[in-house]
Amino acid sequence: MTRQRRIAVTSPQTRLALAGGRRGVPPAPPHLAPADAERARRIHRRQLRYALIVLGLLAALLLGLPVLLAAAPWLDEVRFAGIPVSWLAVAVLPYPVLVALAWCQLRWAERTERPPRRARGRG
Amino acid sequence: MIFAIVPVLLITLLIGARGVAAMRTTSDFLVASRRISPTVNAAAVSGEYLSAASFLGVAGLVVKDGVGAFWYPVGFAAGYIVMLALVAAPLRRTGALTVPDFAEARLGSPVLRRLAAVVVLVIGFLYLVPQFTAAGQVLAVVGGSPYWVGVVIAGAAVSITLALGGMRAATYVQAFQFALKLVLFIVPAIWLVLHVGPSTRANALEPVEFTRFPAATQVQFRLDTELTITEPTRVSIGGGPQQVLPPGRYEAHAGTTWVFDAGAAVPQVGAGRPPGGREWERPLLDPGGYPVLATWSVLIATVFGTMGLPHILVRFHTSADGHGARRTAAITVGLLGVFYLFPPIYGLLGAVLLPELYLSGGTDTVVVALPARVDQSWVGSLFTALLTAGAFAAFLATSLGLLLAVSGAISHDLVPGTLRRLRFTPLGAAAVAVLLALPAARVDVGVLVTSAFAVAASTFCPLLVLGIWWPRLTTQGAVVGVVVGLISSAGVIGVDLFLGTPPGLLAIVLGQPALWSVPLAFATMVLVSLRGRPPAWAAAAMLRLHLDESEAGSAATDDFRPPRMS
Repeated sequence: MTRQRRIAVTSPQTRLALAGGRRGVPPAPPHLAPADAERARRIHRRQLRYALIVLGLLAALLLGLPVLLAAAPWLDEVRFAGIPVSWLAVAVLPYPVLVALAWCQLRWAERTERPPRRARGRG
Repeated sequence: MIFAIVPVLLITLLIGARGVAAMRTTSDFLVASRRISPTVNAAAVSGEYLSAASFLGVAGLVVKDGVGAFWYPVGFAAGYIVMLALVAAPLRRTGALTVPDFAEARLGSPVLRRLAAVVVLVIGFLYLVPQFTAAGQVLAVVGGSPYWVGVVIAGAAVSITLALGGMRAATYVQAFQFALKLVLFIVPAIWLVLHVGPSTRANALEPVEFTRFPAATQVQFRLDTELTITEPTRVSIGGGPQQVLPPGRYEAHAGTTWVFDAGAAVPQVGAGRPPGGREWERPLLDPGGYPVLATWSVLIATVFGTMGLPHILVRFHTSADGHGARRTAAITVGLLGVFYLFPPIYGLLGAVLLPELYLSGGTDTVVVALPARVDQSWVGSLFTALLTAGAFAAFLATSLGLLLAVSGAISHDLVPGTLRRLRFTPLGAAAVAVLLALPAARVDVGVLVTSAFAVAASTFCPLLVLGIWWPRLTTQGAVVGVVVGLISSAGVIGVDLFLGTPPGLLAIVLGQPALWSVPLAFATMVLVSLRGRPPAWAAAAMLRLHLDESEAGSAATDDFRPPRMS
């Protein structure tokens, strides 16, 4: 291994903070061009809506499943391949659902951010 | 058997050294990392995330608390959905590596920055201590040494790795750690399932309550334990002659070995439930008679806490942009989903084959202890070695990430000083974690880690979510909300840990406060903010986080500046 200069890794925010000179306000108060602000507002609204839909589905799964299992103890007796269905419902079932929700959210979020007409070639 | 961990250490150091050499000319985080694909980065996130709590703690909680413990990994994985939906991309665009950074970027408040750094310390140590207790217990089981020796060895291993500069921020090391942990966890699980024979498999799926010892059973007490014996029991204590104990309460001292005769009744320990009973079989967490509330509380803590874990947030900065950060979070859900299919297998087999761990208080070691119980030959030893190596890799990856995050908070945010001090702060933090871990042997790894999640969910989750999505958040609102969240989560958990768990509904309210502390912190932040007035630039500060970098013009591109030399 050759000896090379070590470079301290700090985040830009940390550098700004270490550089000093700001009290109460960021060094340069952030601003957006009116067109950018308008587009950002639209994206923000739409992203929030999609996020809330996905989180609503997640809440339905994670809050609903315990209620279902508490209300239907007979699920412990029903067996699939010898394993109680109620166990499978916790140990296996949630993971594919989570992956599907993640995939859905990712698709929606990326589509909102980059409308097809302005899609770029990079991934 | 201690030698099982040596290869892990060596390989980690080697990859760390090579990875750092390849990326040393510029900073790993800021430039070289931009070539890292979201998949590799997701593996790195998973590698850092899978701690001793996932590797050992979940299976241990299944043996101890029952099938309801299956919920812990569900929450651990689901946290990344919330991360993906609400936090990953906008946070990456702030250029903030940590929550204190984010506080400064979004609200421009040094006070909030320092407060957030304090919270990082609380979360960091709540998460670090169980890593050290788990490592100590595993080394004690595998090497036969006392618990404190294991903790000290674990502390020494971490300190040596830190001193040699291993595992800096290199993404490849963490990605490798994930692959290693996955293989070291899955292969032994499959071997165990195939090897135990049909009767054990059937027993695992149709558990019988552990009320009588099926064969003469040796129980090694690692902690002072109070046993309640309900009928005359034949037992030999500490190698002495067999005697019949009349019903009553007995104290088993730490370090003694009791050999219970075949057919003897299993004594009761505290308020715990022996593995295999009716209540144990129910797939809900139930410490005090309110199964739905208790399960919800753990889920809320883990799902909302993930976004506030300091060592995980740093990883998202390794993505090239917000887009990459989001993909990283999405892929992480899948990778963790594969890993988390397996802890229940260890838990169920452990409940059948090693139910006596419930007596000795060593349930966290069930994963490592299983192979030797199934196969006494060299094959069993080999798998014990593999699992020990995996557990140690889990301990190492998470502890190093946390130590760096904690020392970053100390030397950047709390006591800003030269970067040279940063080199020694992790060693100091490791020493503190070892000292805290020594008296904490009795606390379950999974439970303490979930407390760390609860603190993160009650403090950083509202700060990040409202900061990213709500332009009206004010500094006062954020400060008051974080303080309220910290007191109602960490304060209450501290009361619970030191004064003991009360019965009934209070057990959930105090032991697992996320169910009420998270909404309380959100409400406080919103109400206090509504009484104040955000600065004029607040809306722009929030909106620019939602603009894609490639189209945003000058917005949100602060982080493209070259790093400062030191």
